[in-house]
Amino acid sequence: MTVSAEGTSVVVEVGDRPIRDVNREIRSLLDPGRTITVRHPGAHHNIGVALLAPGRVVLEGSAGYYCGGMNDGATIEIRGSAGWGVAEGMLSGTVIVDGNAGSSAAASIRGGEVVVRGDCAARAGVSMKGGLLLIAGNAGYMTGFMAQKGVIVICGNAGEALADSMYEGVVFVGGEIAALGNDAVIEAPTADDELKLADAFTRHGIARPARLRKIVAGRELWNFEHSELETWRHAL
Amino acid sequence: MCGIAGYLSKTSTDEPIGRVLLDMLTGLARRGPDSAGMACFRGGTDGTSVAWVRLPTDLDPVTAEAIVQERLAGLAEVRSLERHGDTVRLQLWLDGSARDVSRALERPGEDFEVVSLGEHLELVKQVGAPGGLAATYGVAQMRGSHGIGHTRLSTESKVDLSHSQPFWAHGAADIATVHNGHITNYDRLRRIYEQQGVRFFTENDSEVIGVYLADQLGRGRTLEQAVANSLDDLDGSFTYLVATPDLIGYARDPFALKPLVTVETDTYVAMANEEIAIRAALGDAGVAHEPSGHVYRLWKRRASPAADTADAAA
Repeated sequence: MTVSAEGTSVVVEVGDRPIRDVNREIRSLLDPGRTITVRHPGAHHNIGVALLAPGRVVLEGSAGYYCGGMNDGATIEIRGSAGWGVAEGMLSGTVIVDGNAGSSAAASIRGGEVVVRGDCAARAGVSMKGGLLLIAGNAGYMTGFMAQKGVIVICGNAGEALADSMYEGVVFVGGEIAALGNDAVIEAPTADDELKLADAFTRHGIARPARLRKIVAGRELWNFEHSELETWRHAL
Repeated sequence: MCGIAGYLSKTSTDEPIGRVLLDMLTGLARRGPDSAGMACFRGGTDGTSVAWVRLPTDLDPVTAEAIVQERLAGLAEVRSLERHGDTVRLQLWLDGSARDVSRALERPGEDFEVVSLGEHLELVKQVGAPGGLAATYGVAQMRGSHGIGHTRLSTESKVDLSHSQPFWAHGAADIATVHNGHITNYDRLRRIYEQQGVRFFTENDSEVIGVYLADQLGRGRTLEQAVANSLDDLDGSFTYLVATPDLIGYARDPFALKPLVTVETDTYVAMANEEIAIRAALGDAGVAHEPSGHVYRLWKRRASPAADTADAAA
């Protein structure tokens, strides 16, 4: 362990070790004043899941599936890309992906922030229940599907079925939108939105796109429409 | 689940493709422990073709080999014949077409199967973990420009050599596919092709992808057109890789239901379900990227050793 002005730093080696052992070691070292550097992550799955305390974890390479899943307080920085389900089910904390993220990034997060400096594949922010997903690049098919709460910011282009069947999720898009999903409508950002966006862009050092469109639920799907009973009777 | 992997060298047509694919498949083996296989494309050709033929289990191999030789008389001159596991590798001076070879060897009611045929293609597969491919077929020594590989988790059809992947596009020389997912309109497509006289050798839905592509090529479409059309003509969940002597690429269903990442550097293109396979085989170079759904991409092999590498991206 080395000590510097910024606090202590310690190295955890992944290599061919069982990830369960690696995660136990990370959890035992987690401390608000310490940086844990994870060497040779090799895109192994499940690195840094269920970290339930503050502390900084830096992966020196790519992560496999579910990195930072169920995170509650830690800051995880991935110096590479991330596979499916990065930060899935996160409660609080921050997960930063320097490269691209696979499908279902930030799925079902309840809080905290996920920052992807590259692109996200399909279903980013699916079923989000809070928190922020900030994507500097493009986002794939069905981003924000069924988001119940929380904010997704896409600086680049969005794929088809954007913000489909949302509840109170909010999506901002800087680039082109291939197609809006069911019940997704565009409305004007508020002054409060602009303040929060400016804060997030500044804190994560991401340039704000010149234009940001805001997408919310049109609320047409929120309640059962009795006149559609016959349709559903046959559909189900 | 299944594991699929592909690799193309941009710098040489004489790379240790077998070793690279073996390392990638080992990294994916947990996705499919039932069987493994790979299709490697040799860079050059001396005009001979290579056929891999599965011998019937109810015949002794020496008799089966003699039958193969006898049936190829007039169609091809057999330059060499080696037995590997349940298959034989034949080097042929071919006078007929790939379809003629299939027709001569694969008689109804018998169990001979041409596993692959082509001037560049070496396609081997068997039950068990990827490591077994090295022991049975010596794949670690296979060299070439590109190739694709597969580790299988069987969900709906039996586990044997024939049902393993890659699949040769039966009857069309030098085309191979590997597939992760389920083709849900397989029964309908199979019925259509069987009415046209196509013989299916397995009950594995993945077999229909090669049949589909061969059918499209037979209708005069380019491979790129065929792959583009497949995005709408195939139904279900699929990420599949396809390779011919000149091209390698992927296609994904509209929902992007099965994972895929690509890593492209100045010297190679690699693709697999999981980045871990690419890192295990090739190290840390390049940024992994997952394409969205309803997309395909093909990369062209460098034309000759002297060619500019700029043509590697299609």
